[in-house]
Formats: sequence, structure tokens, C-alpha cells
Amino acid sequence: MSKRALLHRGAPLVLVALLAVAILLPLDDVLRLESGDETVSARWSDALDGLPEESGILVAFDADLGTYAEIRPTVRVLLADLLDRGGQLAFVSLTPEGRALAVAELGRLARADVNPRRLADFGFLPGAEAALVQLTREFPEPIDDTAFGRGIAEGGFDRVDAILVVGGNDLGPRSWVEQVAPRVDDVPILAVAPTVLLPELIPYTATGQLEALVATPRDGAAYRASVDLENGQRLVPDEGPSVAALVVGILAAVLLLAQSLAGPLLRPRGAESAR
Amino acid sequence: MNGFFGTDGADVMATWVAAGMTLIVLGGMFGERRAFGWTQHLFAGLLTGFLALVAVTEVLVPWLLAPLVADPGGRPELWLALALVGSAAGVPWLPRPVTAVPLSIAIGALAAFALVGAVVGTLLPQLVVTAPVPGDTGLATGIGIAAAVVTALVLLSFLHGGPRGRGIGIAVSVGRWLLLAGIGGWLGYLLFSRLILLVDRIGFLLFEWLGVGR
Repeated sequence: MSKRALLHRGAPLVLVALLAVAILLPLDDVLRLESGDETVSARWSDALDGLPEESGILVAFDADLGTYAEIRPTVRVLLADLLDRGGQLAFVSLTPEGRALAVAELGRLARADVNPRRLADFGFLPGAEAALVQLTREFPEPIDDTAFGRGIAEGGFDRVDAILVVGGNDLGPRSWVEQVAPRVDDVPILAVAPTVLLPELIPYTATGQLEALVATPRDGAAYRASVDLENGQRLVPDEGPSVAALVVGILAAVLLLAQSLAGPLLRPRGAESAR
Repeated sequence: MNGFFGTDGADVMATWVAAGMTLIVLGGMFGERRAFGWTQHLFAGLLTGFLALVAVTEVLVPWLLAPLVADPGGRPELWLALALVGSAAGVPWLPRPVTAVPLSIAIGALAAFALVGAVVGTLLPQLVVTAPVPGDTGLATGIGIAAAVVTALVLLSFLHGGPRGRGIGIAVSVGRWLLLAGIGGWLGYLLFSRLILLVDRIGFLLFEWLGVGR
């Protein structure tokens, strides 16, 4: 194996080893992820404080496998926070990946002995945008027969106090804003989405179409730090990503970028033609 | 801890399978392509199987077949839906004009809902907010105008072919660079998402598979 090939194969191994070491380093008190800007967490507090007692929250769970790791800690704290506040959660998914993750999260909540009467599962709805429009007219029957689920199936969005969209790449908060918000009255939409969706979602917070949004790990960490969970603490196994590992990964990305930019400049003149 | 797995036998086995798959996928970075390709096929197959399972158990049976069996004449539209499902499932054997019908309906409905939603839910509200109005601060007016200019330039960058003057040519070029800058920023966000996924997977191997304490 040539020296170049060895370098190409060895570099990822070194990166993985560095990330593993960084994850194990106890640097959580030194490096902090949460944003110093409290606007996002204050907006969430305002939105959640404005919900009535025993509010019914429709959780549109359409995260995807590629980005769920990023938002998972925030989603779990949020679900625990809502349950702590006496909320009732109705899950629905419009993507297969979202449904798979919703099933996993519902299973996790069941293992943590969350009162099943405070949960409802409306399963998977096919049809993407068309299904969202249909949902504004009629809810399907819940999979588990609970009074809360039946109430939503009969009353529709009149029984929903807020929509929490757990977004992914396929069908996220934008679709809910575009298809559901114009058709239902006064149901605030809250959203947790991966960073990759931030550019398309920021404008909706400016217009108020999204009541609250967490779309960066820093804002997610700030929201998590602002929440004081009581019973819900047992529902939160995640501590969030290792900040030291993120720093190592970003430095590696910057080095690669610099190398790729500087490479042509540093290459000896004539080397390209000689090759 | 991702919290998806408990401590009983099935969960421990699931942890080992997940760890094995993670190692094989990470092995793709080090040049082990054959096993990596095999896991990709496995993942695609699992996802397809899951989709089929969900479609059958959560859609076709409860929404279509069960109501038809319970009351065959009660909802005639369900027979039409059944015919569409049949023509979609029979793509390899039925003539193309028949099998194209459900696909056309699906694509047409998707485009219609998406377009109307984009106009009503995004374009109009955003225009209302960004349009400069009397009483705005200078900064707000400037942001509104800048947003309109950038939008116009990026839309112009989609002009392909056709005669155009020098001014339009420059605007198209600037719009294209703005579009590239936007895509670059988006790729930066994507990189960050994927980095967190990698850190999460390594954490899974360390904490949940190897049991290394934090």
C-alpha cells in the first residue's frame, strides 16, 4: 500500500480515535454548548406557559434517521417537560422513518411507565401534504383506544391546544405551516428541527407562524438547561452530544477545508503538468 | 445513552446487532466497501419492508379492506381506491395507461398541495412581513429591500438560454453566486448534523456496547 493510500485510510481512523477520546474526556464543565442568547428558551417558556391545564398536544413526529441524533436530547426533554406540565401527547407521523422513530419513542415512554391514558397514537398517515389537509378535516381512529385519543378523533383540532412538529428532511415544520396553519384557527405550532432546516425555518419565527423553534444544538442545549424537570427527569437518558468531540470534529473539517483550498497554492509550479 | 434499548435479552441482542452494523458502516471510511455495501442493501431492504408493513397494517387494512368487508356497498369510493391500489401493485403486468393513473394522481395532488401551500403559507406571509411600510425603521426597510433584491437575483439565475442583455447577464451571474453561497451555507449546516450523528454513533459504541462509563 502506498504512503498516500495509507494516509487516506489512516486519517479517518485517527479522526474516529480522536473523537472517541474527546467523548471520554470530562470537559463538560469547561466547554459549554448552550447559547448565551436566551431568546429561544424564553420563547419556548412563554409558549408552554400559555398552554392550558392538561393540554392536548399533537406531536407530529417526522424526524429522520440521519438527523434525529442531533435533536433527540431536546425532543426528549421537551416531551418530558410537556408531561411534567400535565400535557397529553398524541403522536402522528407522515413519513415511514418518522413512524419508526415515533414507535421507538413511544416504546421508551411505555418502558418508563408514563401513564398510557396521557398518550395517543394515530400511527402513520400516507399522502404527505394531502394527508395534512385531510387531517384538518378529520382525524383517523387512534391505534390505542384511550379517552384522550378518542376525544381528538371526534373533536379534531378543536381538542388540540398546540402542535409540536419534530422535523426531519422529508416533511417538516414548513409543511405544517403551509398546509395546516391556514386551515385551523389559533393552534400554535412549535417545532424542533435539525440545523440543516434552520435557513428555511427562521423566517417563520419572524412572521409568528412558528410560535417557537429550536433548530440548532446550541439553542437546544439552552432550552434543556432552562428546564427544571421533576417527574420527567427519568424520561431523559440523553445528556446531549459531547462538546469536546464537536470541537474536534469542526477543527478537523476546518483543517480539511484549509488543506483543500491551500493545496493548489502550495503545489510546486509545473507539478500538475508533470503528473 | 440513546435510551432505545433496555436490558433484557432481545435488547442486548439489538445492541450487538446495532454495534456490528455501526462498525461495518464506519469500516466504509477505511476502505472496507463490500460489507459496507451489504449494510446499505440491508438498510434499504429493512426500510422498504417497514414501509410495506406500515402500509398494510396501518393503512390498507384499517382504512380500505376492513370498511369494505364490513359494508361493501356503504362507501363506493373505497372500491375506486381499491382499483387504484390494484393498478399500482400490478405495474409489471398491466398496460402502462392503466398503471400510470395512480401515479399521475399522486404526483398531481402532491404538486397541487405543495404549490398552493407554498403560496398561501409561505410566499404571501413572507411578502407581507418583508414589504417595507411607512413607519418602519431604516434597518427594517433595508432588510426588506435586500430580501427582495436577493430573491429577484436568485430567481433570475434560473434563466437558461434565450437572448438577454448585458445587465441581465450580470444579474444572472450574481444570482447564481448568491445561490451557491446559500447552498454552501446549507452544506455547512449539513456537515454539522452529520458530525453530531458520527459523535452519537461513537458514543453508542463506547457507552452502550462497550459499557465504558462516562
